Amino acid sequence: MDNALMDSLVIEASRSSPTIRFNAETRCLSVSGESYPENAAAFYAPVFAWLKTFLARLEPGAAVQVDLEVLYLNSSSTKVMLNFLDLIEQAAQDGAQVTVNWRYDPDNETILECGQDFSEELQALTFNLVEQSREPQ
Amino acid sequence: MSTLDLAGLQDELRRQDVLISFSGPFSHGIIEELGKAVRHYLESAQVARSTLMDVFAVYIEQAQNVGHYVCRQDAGSAQARLASSGIVVIAQEDQRCVVSSGNLLDRADAPALIARLERLRSLDKAGLKALYKAQMRLPLTPQGGAGLGLIEMARKATMPLEYAFGEVDEQYVFFSLRVVI
Repeated sequence: MDNALMDSLVIEASRSSPTIRFNAETRCLSVSGESYPENAAAFYAPVFAWLKTFLARLEPGAAVQVDLEVLYLNSSSTKVMLNFLDLIEQAAQDGAQVTVNWRYDPDNETILECGQDFSEELQALTFNLVEQSREPQ
Repeated sequence: MSTLDLAGLQDELRRQDVLISFSGPFSHGIIEELGKAVRHYLESAQVARSTLMDVFAVYIEQAQNVGHYVCRQDAGSAQARLASSGIVVIAQEDQRCVVSSGNLLDRADAPALIARLERLRSLDKAGLKALYKAQMRLPLTPQGGAGLGLIEMARKATMPLEYAFGEVDEQYVFFSLRVVI
């Protein structure tokens, strides 16, 4: 089955959970905002369900772009994010062309370090640390 | 005393350089609201953004740790007593932010917690990072706990984690944790 036949996954942000926009047709997956939900496993369960279906249907050599612009991850969300990246890493090992852009504010060193921690765990996918220009004050 | 001594309470908070405190049952909504207040307060005090986010992160880990600990207990009067025992305090000492938390802890849980804290206290930055990465690979608990909270706090702290146990009764001790950012 083709990815184009899959519905997109859209979850709007709350104060403690990020915006999620996963588009099966364009193969662009984006997560942005803060993540410290009451129960990270429960919050991300539908996200993982969607991702597993998407990756299972991915055609060999398909390009996938992942944009991560998180401002804060609590510790359980960090673990969930690693599981998420591991699944995408597996897809890259299986031949997908995966690019992950980890977007960070230069004033938020914690998020840069967090991106560096993740990049050390991943080999097959392309992991870019992308400095975001600051919004005018 | 027949009335609350609010002025006295406020003097005591000021004397201990407390910026923000919350004592009572932590719901997720309270954690969110108080987190917002913490950030607004530190922004208005012109604290550097990276420090602000570290204080916020330690506050979230402490508040959620207290919440998760309470959730692991059987429902009932003991759980209600544990839930209402939670306290998180953010103070400023000598230009440093200190985030502290406390809650009742079952005596049976104390030895394992002491062992974890002593291990963290013995590790340097590289050791903490290695431990963090190993723990990151272990699955979440059903309550959504990652077992990473204390390691995360130790990584953000500028001094080893400090802790104390106060005597309460036959079943409980009062656990306090102090993290200097």
